[in-house]
Amino acid sequence: MRNPIILAAAGLALATLSACSGEPQTATTAGASPAKDAKIAVAASDTACKVAVSEINAGTSTFAITNGGSKVTEFYVYAAGDRVMGEVENIVPGLTREVIIELPPGTYEAACKPGMVGKGIRNPLKVSGEHKPLSDDAQLAEATAGYKRYIKSQSDTLLVKTQEFVDAVKAGEIDKAKDLYPVARTYWERIEPVAEIFGDLDPAIDAREADLEEGQEWTGFHRIEKDLWIKKDVAGDGPIADKLMTDVKTIVQKANEAQLSPLQLANGAKELLDEVATGKITGEEDIWSHTDLWDFDANLQGSKAAVQALRPVLEERSPELVKTLDEKFALAEAALGAHQKGSGWKLHNELSKAELKELSDAINSLAEPISKLAAAVTA
Amino acid sequence: MFASYLIGLREGLEATLVVSVLVAFLVKSDRRDRLPLVWLGVIAAATLSIGFGALLTFTAAHLGHRQQELFDAVTSLLATVFVTWMIFWMRRAARSLSGELRAKLTDALRLGPVAVVVMAFLAVAREGLETALLFFASVQGATTSATPLIGISLGILTSIVIGWGLYKSALKINLTTFFTWTGLLLILVAAGIFKYGVHDLQEANILPGLSTQAFDISAVLPADSWWGALVSGMFNITPQPTVLETIAWVAYAVPTLVLFLRPPSSRRPTPTVSTTA
Repeated sequence: MRNPIILAAAGLALATLSACSGEPQTATTAGASPAKDAKIAVAASDTACKVAVSEINAGTSTFAITNGGSKVTEFYVYAAGDRVMGEVENIVPGLTREVIIELPPGTYEAACKPGMVGKGIRNPLKVSGEHKPLSDDAQLAEATAGYKRYIKSQSDTLLVKTQEFVDAVKAGEIDKAKDLYPVARTYWERIEPVAEIFGDLDPAIDAREADLEEGQEWTGFHRIEKDLWIKKDVAGDGPIADKLMTDVKTIVQKANEAQLSPLQLANGAKELLDEVATGKITGEEDIWSHTDLWDFDANLQGSKAAVQALRPVLEERSPELVKTLDEKFALAEAALGAHQKGSGWKLHNELSKAELKELSDAINSLAEPISKLAAAVTA
Repeated sequence: MFASYLIGLREGLEATLVVSVLVAFLVKSDRRDRLPLVWLGVIAAATLSIGFGALLTFTAAHLGHRQQELFDAVTSLLATVFVTWMIFWMRRAARSLSGELRAKLTDALRLGPVAVVVMAFLAVAREGLETALLFFASVQGATTSATPLIGISLGILTSIVIGWGLYKSALKINLTTFFTWTGLLLILVAAGIFKYGVHDLQEANILPGLSTQAFDISAVLPADSWWGALVSGMFNITPQPTVLETIAWVAYAVPTLVLFLRPPSSRRPTPTVSTTA
């Protein structure tokens, strides 16, 4: 009977302790902090509040407040709007108490409150220099790391599926190649923003005939697409297929090595939706195979994956945006979900104008909140 | 000296009040076997507070301002829940006692052991860390002047004496009166703890409106007077509460008082009385 009680008490004690040290920068030793040898003296009395310096460096600073008066006092550092950045209460006459406060650059007010009442005796406090909150960096680093894991998983399968597609083309198995075409592209379309970083390779893999420039050789998925559906003959496509495989291999390797910035995640999420709006809804992307909805779905998932990676950061900086995005993604997925057919999707030319309009509306309403992503991440 | 005495008294009262009522209740309801659990909770909280305070004082580690406020806020909000639960637990137990339904008492106390430990723990842990930090600061300052150290120590001792006095006098009054008065007292205490938790959330910049004050009675209730310290120590009534704190206090105290003071619903179904809610 006693054991669960003791466990409960111990558990609570641990829970409260770990709650305190949850943010790593606060409970770590301040050995790295230069504040240790440069305490800022504050001489407080019943009528005065003398802060030794009026300008300090950004980061963590230690204030040592000595109460030379006869009343109990408090010490506060306020940001604009009297937001409390740090405080120490109950400074008894004759005592010195310390408080460590982390201050980003800006203008603040340092205040003593003799008798612990009123607005206090205030001093302007200017904080300058560089300051990067550790937790933010760590969070953003985790976001990009999470997204890179996603890229890795998708690109691994992209290699496998592209190989199967290429093999089918080279073996002249037209029906099999037709089936594999939208599947291989799914993995490509999910990670396209990263692929686009390497400008010259993306057109080699994914250029459409209409987009070709004068004298440019046409290679990649869409060249084979045309041969599969229109020419119905891929006998001469061996070299094209081999080049596609080589290009995909190169880009996968580069994508996995790339250093991504959180901003690239945010912009990538937006680019994918723009792709949907300009290419997939219109049916221009897969003009011969009409498998645009496969790409549509893949773009949507890729965009969502980038948002999910950024989620912890966003929830802290813009919880409203997260809510809106969740809603709009769900709506877009539902609109698309109506056109599922077997394990794949209806063809683009099977959709009515009204159905396409509905899909277009869902994507457009998602585009608006997603365009705010970059600003929210850098905020 | 007087100033530090008052702080010791105030911080100490916040803990001893709940603990003394808890002890008195267990003794009166003949559950002395549960007393070690109370002390277990108290000792765990005191050890945690002192240990953590020493860690923060004597090592390079430090708690951010927000973390300390959050610690206070979380323990306060939890304490509110437990004290409220205790109030109605006592009320139900009281009914069982007066109805001579001894067997029912066991049921009523079934949830007791864990709750007793947790409640005692929270009552002390809530202000323990702040008090420990204050105490260490005065120990370090004792090289120049020992008066703050003596003052705080005397204040804490006084609060324990007051708590003991409350316990003793609670033992003398009859059961019904005991439950009514300590219940009312605890509701005011819990409302104060809740208000304090809200205030801490404001100081941690989680809730807004820290500088929006509801009223200012610091002229009649100076924070540095003994009566000011007593009132704020017992009920957390402060001279300059924010609007949000005041709303929190009222929102807790009014419905809880109404629920507490409503006549106990009869145990036997009485058809003559209209359907009870």
